[in-house]
Amino acid sequence: MTRPLRLRLLLRDLSVAAAFASMAVSGQVPLWALGLVLLAVGVGLWGKRPFARYPRLTSALLVPVAGAIYLAVAAGQMDLVVAACSFAGLVAGQRVLSQSSPATDGQVLLAGLLMIAGGAALSGELLFAVCLLAFAVLACLSLGLAVVESSVPAGEPVPVRAVMRPLGRGTVVAMVGAMAFFVFIPRLNWNMGVRRASPGLGTATSGFSDTVRLGGSGTLKSNPRVVLRARLKPDPQSERLSSYWVGRTYDTFDGVEWTTLGAPSRRNRTRVTLRPGAEKQVYQRIELLPAYGSRTLIALETPAKLGNALAHTATGDRRTQLREQGGDELRFVDDGLGYSYEVYSVPPGTDTDPGKMNEQETDQLLALPETLDPRVEELARRVVGDEKDPLAAAQKLSAWLQREYQYTLELGGDVADPLRDFLFVRKAGHCEHFATALTVMLRTQGFESRLATGFFGGERVGDEYMVRAGDAHAWTHVLVPGRGFVTVDATPADFRTNQSSKVLETLVSLYESMEAMWRNAVVDYSFRDQMDFVRGLTRPPRDPSGKPMARSALPPFRAWVTAAAVGLALYGLVRVLSRRRARPTRQEATRFVDAVERLLARAGLPPREGETLEDVSARLSREAHPLAPLLATLTRRYLEARFGQRPLASGESARLLAELKQALDTSQRPTARAS
Amino acid sequence: MNAPARADVTPPVSAATARAALERVAANLSLAVQGKERELRLAVTCVAAGGHLLLEDVPGVGKTTLVEALGRSFGLSLSRVQFTADLMPTDILGAQVFHAASATFSFRPGPIFRQLVLADELNRAPPRTQSALLEAMAQGQVSLDGTTHPLPRPFTVVATQNPVDFSGTYPLPDSQLDRFLMRLSLGHPAPEVEARLLTQQRDTASSVDVLEPVSTPEELTALRAQVAAQRLDTAVAEYVVRLAQATRAHGDIERGASTRAVLALGMAARAHALWDARDFVTPGDVRAVLGPCLAHRLLLRSGTQGAYTRDEALHLVEEVARKVPAPR
Repeated sequence: MTRPLRLRLLLRDLSVAAAFASMAVSGQVPLWALGLVLLAVGVGLWGKRPFARYPRLTSALLVPVAGAIYLAVAAGQMDLVVAACSFAGLVAGQRVLSQSSPATDGQVLLAGLLMIAGGAALSGELLFAVCLLAFAVLACLSLGLAVVESSVPAGEPVPVRAVMRPLGRGTVVAMVGAMAFFVFIPRLNWNMGVRRASPGLGTATSGFSDTVRLGGSGTLKSNPRVVLRARLKPDPQSERLSSYWVGRTYDTFDGVEWTTLGAPSRRNRTRVTLRPGAEKQVYQRIELLPAYGSRTLIALETPAKLGNALAHTATGDRRTQLREQGGDELRFVDDGLGYSYEVYSVPPGTDTDPGKMNEQETDQLLALPETLDPRVEELARRVVGDEKDPLAAAQKLSAWLQREYQYTLELGGDVADPLRDFLFVRKAGHCEHFATALTVMLRTQGFESRLATGFFGGERVGDEYMVRAGDAHAWTHVLVPGRGFVTVDATPADFRTNQSSKVLETLVSLYESMEAMWRNAVVDYSFRDQMDFVRGLTRPPRDPSGKPMARSALPPFRAWVTAAAVGLALYGLVRVLSRRRARPTRQEATRFVDAVERLLARAGLPPREGETLEDVSARLSREAHPLAPLLATLTRRYLEARFGQRPLASGESARLLAELKQALDTSQRPTARAS
Repeated sequence: MNAPARADVTPPVSAATARAALERVAANLSLAVQGKERELRLAVTCVAAGGHLLLEDVPGVGKTTLVEALGRSFGLSLSRVQFTADLMPTDILGAQVFHAASATFSFRPGPIFRQLVLADELNRAPPRTQSALLEAMAQGQVSLDGTTHPLPRPFTVVATQNPVDFSGTYPLPDSQLDRFLMRLSLGHPAPEVEARLLTQQRDTASSVDVLEPVSTPEELTALRAQVAAQRLDTAVAEYVVRLAQATRAHGDIERGASTRAVLALGMAARAHALWDARDFVTPGDVRAVLGPCLAHRLLLRSGTQGAYTRDEALHLVEEVARKVPAPR
């Protein structure tokens, strides 16, 4: 047996790597599978096939692995799709390390295809597309080379160089064709009923949960992923907002965790009015990105009206309803990758009516945890003094906290009483510690207050504001009679926004903008978008007020321009192709011989199998066929043009063909008359 | 002393003149060997291409007649060596002879110093003698005791061997078979030809003896120069190589065509193009000489012997020719 082509194996192994990467980017493949497959592919790329000598034994080893994976799935420790993908990866790895044969190669590529399918189920992001493309190209090239290799006789060198160019060209054409197919052919969305794809860069973390637990992870602050984009009206025109984006508030603190009293409402609505509006309101059009990973609506403080919500799902956008939870939280009813909605917020500084609050709720704003250290109250009294105004007291306390305490993201892990730890031991913490301390200390002095969570800041990109996961923040609402809840932030101002590095932010922004393009142009590109695209070409243009400018039934000017551009491009392509075809004179000789043979075949004189025109001519001469002399001349001319460097003059082939045609016609006429 | 005229300095003739010469010789040959037009043309092609010819046939079908007729038609000096088990290399090449009177050695040339040498039943001679002949064929000269003696030009060897009776013979090694441009076998003549031979037997003189020369050694040299000047298009060259590669890759062939075989095929095809008065080679020329040029150079896996091997090899070459598409 001849040795398999090194390049082909290399391409094949790389395609497996790409297929596996398409699953691995979802971050859901277990580490052990990742390691094993990477090891197998690495060894394969190095050119070693250690399993070649023990194909049966190593295949048999996969059986207990399959059993173990099955048990893990049955026990609920592993997702079925993830398990299947991991196993496909292992099978591919085993095959990669075995002797190459047509069967092995087929199995490797099949496993790759399975992994790609698995990858599609696990993640719908840009990196998957890159991996898919890489797999398609590499697998195509490898398959093409395999076909060439099998057709070359054993022992002969495979003309790799000559083959790779047309193969590469063909692959590019196929990819371009696939893209054109994608854009122009009406399609159904196959994502329906399939497992929901998780958003990119692994599972999202926005800092949103039903509770706030002090002493939790602090790495959130350095996460630069964008969780929301907002368009504001009136536009504040500043590069960086110093605004609070509120998600929900908490009124109950048990010493470690903040929760909310009050049962969620059962009603689903499309619009929710929270409080009476003011004269001037800030309108926001907000898009919550897939990275957000939660269903809570976010709005600038203090939201008055929220609604018109759309959930972005794998199958397209869908209207979704909202449900009121406790703590002023609004939640989307349906699951979606992302959401967009409209909000009206009362500008900061305006008096707001907190709405109807029952006695239990107002009592809760003063409730203290049972285990509260008595020193907290003492400390608060010392700072607040005999201040009776809630807002002034809050500001006093806030200023004191900012002065006396350090901001840090270094946390020592869970402690029994995080508030005591913050106030008396470490004297350092992050926004949740500051906000909790302020809220609890206010309560000890009889001021009603609560904890609010959401985001702080907003960075201008284009005409939109972006808020990152690292902007997650917590602060305090103090209830001021006659004014409602007023925001007081105990966290030092420099540490309120996200703390990630600039380089990371830039990279993530780049990735996210590409991913947004990918989502808009590919994942969410639906039949409706295709229709819009075509309609956009033919619909008459409209003036700003939305009225059609012309009533003509003819397509608008740009449709003509587009059509002309497409026509020109096609014409150019045809020109280039025809010039390439017309290039060598010897190919004219070949075309000539094709035409001669076609004419002969039509006249009932087809060449026998394997016969050249030279053979046909010699045969007819032997048979003393009436056409033999003419055909001998034609053949001689063809041979001269093709092999004797005396090319056909322009028009010569046409003349010779006409002669032959005439001769064939005359030789056939008597037969026609006879029949 | 003037060097003998070399083939490469002789001006080539035109393709049309060459064709006329070849036709003349072939017509002349057919007077001596009847009913074998194709084989005669191939033999003339082989000689015109400057190659040596291996005739493999049962006795009595006209091998010797053919060679003698070739020599007469081209006006070549001819010698015939009957190879036997006791034939020594010096019996062919010649030897240094001591002259007692002058007390000096002088070279006495052997029968190989002729323009056309018939090595009859080559496989009956011991290998040492065979290889002496074949070496001389390859190099166009004889080296003895440190002196080099050039062979006359044009120089051609026609060897014969009997494919049926192999007992007590020394079959030629493959590498030496490779030195023959073509292998031909005349085979028994058709019945009507044999009948005609019978009726003509009244003539006492052998038909060869009455043949007149129709060409000259100089013309043969010029023909060879023309053959070397024939144009071989790259497409045809690639075709030749593809054919050779196909024999190498064939499952029933142990060892396919060598590079020398490829060159031989090209040379024979060049000569064959002259029959059509062409100065370029077509795929048809290649196919016309494919069997005679390649079949004897292949080492088959089947291990058959003699005439069977020949038929099988020819069959395989035809199969290869069918499989490899000719350039268009």
